[in-house]
Amino acid sequence: MDIESDLKRALRRERPPAGFADRVLARLDEPRSAPRPRWRAVAAGILLTAVVGGWAARQEIHRREGEKAREEVLLALHIAGAKMRAAQEHVREIGSH
Amino acid sequence: MRKLILALATLVLAAPVWAQRINLDFPGLEEKARETVDVTIDGDLLKIAAKFLDGRNPDESAARDIVSKLEGIYVRSYTFSKEGEYDRSIVTRVREQLGPNWKKIVRVTSRTRENVEIYVDARGDGKTVRGLVIIASEPRELTLVNLVGPVDIDKLASLEGQFGIPRMSVKERQ
Repeated sequence: MDIESDLKRALRRERPPAGFADRVLARLDEPRSAPRPRWRAVAAGILLTAVVGGWAARQEIHRREGEKAREEVLLALHIAGAKMRAAQEHVREIGSH
Repeated sequence: MRKLILALATLVLAAPVWAQRINLDFPGLEEKARETVDVTIDGDLLKIAAKFLDGRNPDESAARDIVSKLEGIYVRSYTFSKEGEYDRSIVTRVREQLGPNWKKIVRVTSRTRENVEIYVDARGDGKTVRGLVIIASEPRELTLVNLVGPVDIDKLASLEGQFGIPRMSVKERQ
């Protein structure tokens, strides 16, 4: 067995089958196929993360606003109640004399 | 024409609320004060605040009862470093805004303690309090409170405790 001649035979130039070039050019002109489902899943995941993240951020802002409003209401009512009690006590003291 | 009628009706309906709302903002006070408390809560923010009050806590539950009926809470409280740092005529200017519906229920004057005046808006049947104004003045402190809407005075006076009020709510000048 002659290796050299075997290689020459295996690597010899062959003409492509008839119509090969036309078929390749026709495939190039075909419209591109839709994105692969894997990319769709990634895009959906990013969108879902953005929506859920946005919703969570909104909830957090709402919670902070509510807590701040609660603190301010309690402070305001504390001040109002304290002033009213001070007046009541004063009136009571005058009444007891 | 319908729009005009609607606008006029809105104005007429809103007028009582405006009447209960008193201007408590006087230029220059905050700049002079060492400590300032400035609370303005009305509209949707008041409803949100009511939702955040803890119904299991007795103080907060009572506060929620009061707040749920109110349309606005306005408080300005100023503490000064020295006596006579604020214009005493502010008290008169607040008093002058009160219309004929406003009745004085308490006026305490003291040489040693704070002076307190409490006014209520008792329009309608005369029994329901539709608004409250408190003017408390001391040589180094001035507190103005305006509650707009039905107010349960007894419940307000009975509120005890500090409510865990955070220190950050008070603006302090160095």
